[in-house]
Formats: sequence, structure tokens, C-alpha cells
Amino acid sequence: MRLAAFTQIIVTLAVTAWVFILPTEAVATILVLELTLLLYIKHDQMTLAAIGGLAVFTGLMVLLQLLFGTPLIQSLIGGLRMLVMTMAFLCLLAACRIQDIAKALVEKFRLPCEYAFMLTTALRFVPNFLLDSEITLDAQSCRGYSNRQNFIKRFLAYLVVIRPLVMRAVAKSETLALSMELKGFGNNTYKNMPPEKLNILDYLVLLLVLAGCSFPFWEKYFLGA
Amino acid sequence: MTAQIAIEKFYFAYKATPPGQVVLRDINLKVDKGSFTCLIGPSGAGKTTLCRAITGIVPFYMGGRYAGDVKVLGKSTKGQRVSDIAMHVGFIMEDYESQLVSLTAGEEVAFSLLNHGFKPEEVEKRVSWALEAVGLPGRETYRLDELSGGQRQRLLLASTLAVEPELIVLDEPVSAMDPDGAQSLYSLLASIHRRLGTTILAVEHRMDFLLPYVTDLIALKEGELLVADSFDAAAPVVYQDAELRPLLPTLWQMKLGLEERLGLRLGNWRSEEEAVEDLKRRGVRAKEGTGHVGS
Ligand SMILES: Nc1ncnc2c1ncn2[C@@H]1O[C@H](COP(=O)(O)OP(=O)(O)OP(=O)(O)O)[C@@H](O)[C@H]1O
Ligand SMILES: [Mg+2]
Repeated sequence: MRLAAFTQIIVTLAVTAWVFILPTEAVATILVLELTLLLYIKHDQMTLAAIGGLAVFTGLMVLLQLLFGTPLIQSLIGGLRMLVMTMAFLCLLAACRIQDIAKALVEKFRLPCEYAFMLTTALRFVPNFLLDSEITLDAQSCRGYSNRQNFIKRFLAYLVVIRPLVMRAVAKSETLALSMELKGFGNNTYKNMPPEKLNILDYLVLLLVLAGCSFPFWEKYFLGA
Repeated sequence: MTAQIAIEKFYFAYKATPPGQVVLRDINLKVDKGSFTCLIGPSGAGKTTLCRAITGIVPFYMGGRYAGDVKVLGKSTKGQRVSDIAMHVGFIMEDYESQLVSLTAGEEVAFSLLNHGFKPEEVEKRVSWALEAVGLPGRETYRLDELSGGQRQRLLLASTLAVEPELIVLDEPVSAMDPDGAQSLYSLLASIHRRLGTTILAVEHRMDFLLPYVTDLIALKEGELLVADSFDAAAPVVYQDAELRPLLPTLWQMKLGLEERLGLRLGNWRSEEEAVEDLKRRGVRAKEGTGHVGS
């Protein structure tokens, strides 16, 4: 049984709330869970690089807070919160196809279909864009462009690559827009997809989310704080 | 026969076209329902522009100056949105790369189907049928960058065929394919044409692929109509134009050349076999032990 995209999005959103309302120990536990989950689903170089990047970024944030005079403990907790939040989104992206996320956003969260479609289309054109930049670089190299000078010169010289690249991208996006029109893109696109059904596992998880979110309430009345 | 496309006194210039010049000049033509028409002309003749006019993209989507009228499926393109026309007319543009909008092959075909309002079960059936028809069976989950250029062109055709439009306009649909692939794609198109009576209009530089199927021919030159007629009647007219002559199928360049030089009237060949039969009937014999012309 798989969790529906809807449930996964809810859990991700819930985690961003939990980092503020749950005790620090619980937040730290979530981080461990997230890391385990992430490495279980995907352990390629990209994922490791993303985790490393997030860690470095978090470290910088902690340093910045210290510089502004925040006490050490609080800076660390702040860093932890941010890391857990961003890691949750990383987990979502690793566990769920972007198409399913887009569909759930339209179906359950009433996101306008144009925005949802942007998510998938952006991803679709990443390989194209990389290929284009390679082709343009090659083409300009054939005509004497070289990137073996100092940094400033290299940057200026790189403009000759960027300009045609941007022009190509604009031309392509125009064709894309036209093509979507030709294919009759509109509200129908998502409306006609088979709706995503929630199963028992989803309901269980949603219940857990509810329990987690009401933590301040039962902390007050049952744990007698 | 009823006209699927009727163009009358159509003139057109893009926004960027210098004043006083036009891209299409005084176009008058009809494309019959159920025909398989080939549109030829040198580069820059206005073939793509004419395809855009038929699908309502010019002048109403891209803008520009125009005069005259274009009727498609009995209705003027004026006042219709591109997406309205697209519900009945499939258009495959030149830049096949940017026309694919989804992440996987299956989703790409499903995309058009869903937009056209097909039910989920029907969508699934048609997706696998269309992918199989274009020679990509079972590739539903392939990511687009896992397909070659030619395969992506096929995918685009699959997504158009799946909705079974009444009219399909194709602008150089096999430009990224090898000769074998191009041949099989056109024969697929021909079988759809036969089976469903779909009207087909294709821009093609290599007419050899189309010779067995083509019924009508339209030739454009510098924005003007040179001829629009049945293939058999139009080809000799095109042959008289030195610039357009090389665009005719090789077999017909040969046939028309022989007819001109030797004052003959040969048959209307649609394949090498027919040509061989025809020549044999006229007493052309292979020399002993050479070739297979006489065998
Ligand atoms: N978007 C545009 N804006 C301005 N002018 C255009 C535009 N598209 C095409 N043209 C001009 O219109 C003329 C006809 O172009 P068109 O693309 O229709 O030719 P074509 O017959 O399809 O050529 P090819 O065989 O090279 O594809 C050309 O002179 C071209 O410069
Ligand atoms: Mg063209």
C-alpha cells in the first residue's frame, strides 16, 4: 500500500508546523526519521549532495544568528527547525512524482491548473535547457569563443552563450504555449484524471497528523504542565 | 465532395513583415474531405504560414495583417479560438521538441485525450493503442529524454492520432527520422487515412515517402499559389518550374522527363513496381542477365 500524494503533502505541511509546536527532542527525532526515510527511498549522489547542501546552509544560518547575538542554544534550535522543514520537502520530492503532487494540488487544494502544470513543465524542460546550453557553447566555441581567461573576461565572454540561450528559451516557450493551446489545455486536464482514492493507511497517517498538531492542547490538559 | 478547407483570396503579412510586403498572396484553394494532400515549396515559400492559417494561429493568435477568408470544416477561422479549432483539427508543428509538454510518453498522449474529455478507462486504452501504432509499444513510462529525436516525433504523432481528429495538418513531421522510420510513419498515416477517412495535409520536402498515398498536391512559391489540384494534374505543372522540380518524387521527375524528351504518355506511377510494369508493357526489356527490370 502506498500513501497518496495528498497525504504526503499534508504530512510535509504538518512537519513544518510541528517544528514550532513539538518539543525539541521530538523535532530532533523527526530529523532522524526524515534522514532514514530519505536514504531508504533514494541514495544516489544527487540526494547526498542535496542533504550536504542543506546541512551547510543550516550551518551558515546558525552562524548568522550567533553573529546577531542570539544565544547558542536558540541558534541551534532555529537551525534544527529549518533543517527539519526543508528536509521534509526533500522527502516529499523524493517519495512522490511531481505529476502526482501537481494533480493532488489541483484536486484537493484547488490550485489553478496553470500553476500546477508549471511545476511539471519546468521539470520537463530542464534536460532540454542543459542540452541547449551545451549546443550553444559548442557552437560559439566553433566560432572562437574561449573560456580560458581570467574570471572577469570569462564571465563577459559567457554572455555570448547566454544571449542565444535565452532567445532559444523564449522561442521554445512560445511554441510550448501555442502547443498547449492546440492540445486544448484547460481545466479538463486535471478534472478528467481518475481521482486519487485515500486508503486506510492514509486515514491512519492523517489521524497521526491530527494528533501531532493538537499536541499543545493535550500537553496542557493531560500532561499537566 | 465537400471541402474540408476552403481558402478564398487570402493575403497575410506577419507583424514583423516590412510594409508593402506579404508572406501569402492571393491564395485560393480547396482541400476535399478524405484527401491526402501534400504541400510543397522552397524554403521560405510560406508553407508553415499556410498551415498556421488553416489552424487559426495566423492571423488571430499571432497577429498580423490579413485579407480574405479561411474556412475549416465549414466554419471561418475568424472568431474561433485556436483551442476550439484544435478540437477537430490536429496540428503537428515543425519544432517537435517544444511541443511535448509532459514528463513521460504515456502522459503526453493522455494529455490531449484528457483535454478532449475522454474518460479514464478510454484514455488508458487509447494511450496504449496510439503508442503501439507509432511503433513505441509499452513505452508509457519512458521519460521524454529517454527517447530519441525520431521517437519523440512519433510520440507527438501518437498524441495527435489518439484523439482521432477529422483533419490532421503536419508540418515536416518526419524531419528527424531516418528513411525507414519516415516510410513507416507515412504508411501508418495512410492506414489511418484509409480506415477513418481522416483528411491529411502534410508539408514534406521528401515527397518520395508520400508518393504511394498522395491524392492532391499544393505548390507554393514565394507566397503565391503555383498550383493546387489532384496530384496527377498538378505534378506536370510543378515540373515546368525549374526551382520546384526537385521537390517532386524522383520517380515522377523521371516519368515527366521521359514524357517530355520522348513525347510519350506514361502511366501515373505510384510505386517502382507500377513503373516497371508500365515500362515492360511498353516493350522495355532488360538486357540478358542484368538487373531485375525484366525479371
Ligand atoms: N513569426 C514570424 N514573424 C515574421 N515573419 C515570419 C515569421 N514566420 C515566418 N516568417 C516569414 O514568412 C516567410 C514564410 O515563412 P514560412 O515559415 O511560412 O516558410 P516555409 O515555407 O515553411 O519554409 P521552410 O521550408 O524553411 O520551413 C519567410 O520569409 C519568413 O521569414
Ligand atoms: Mg516551414
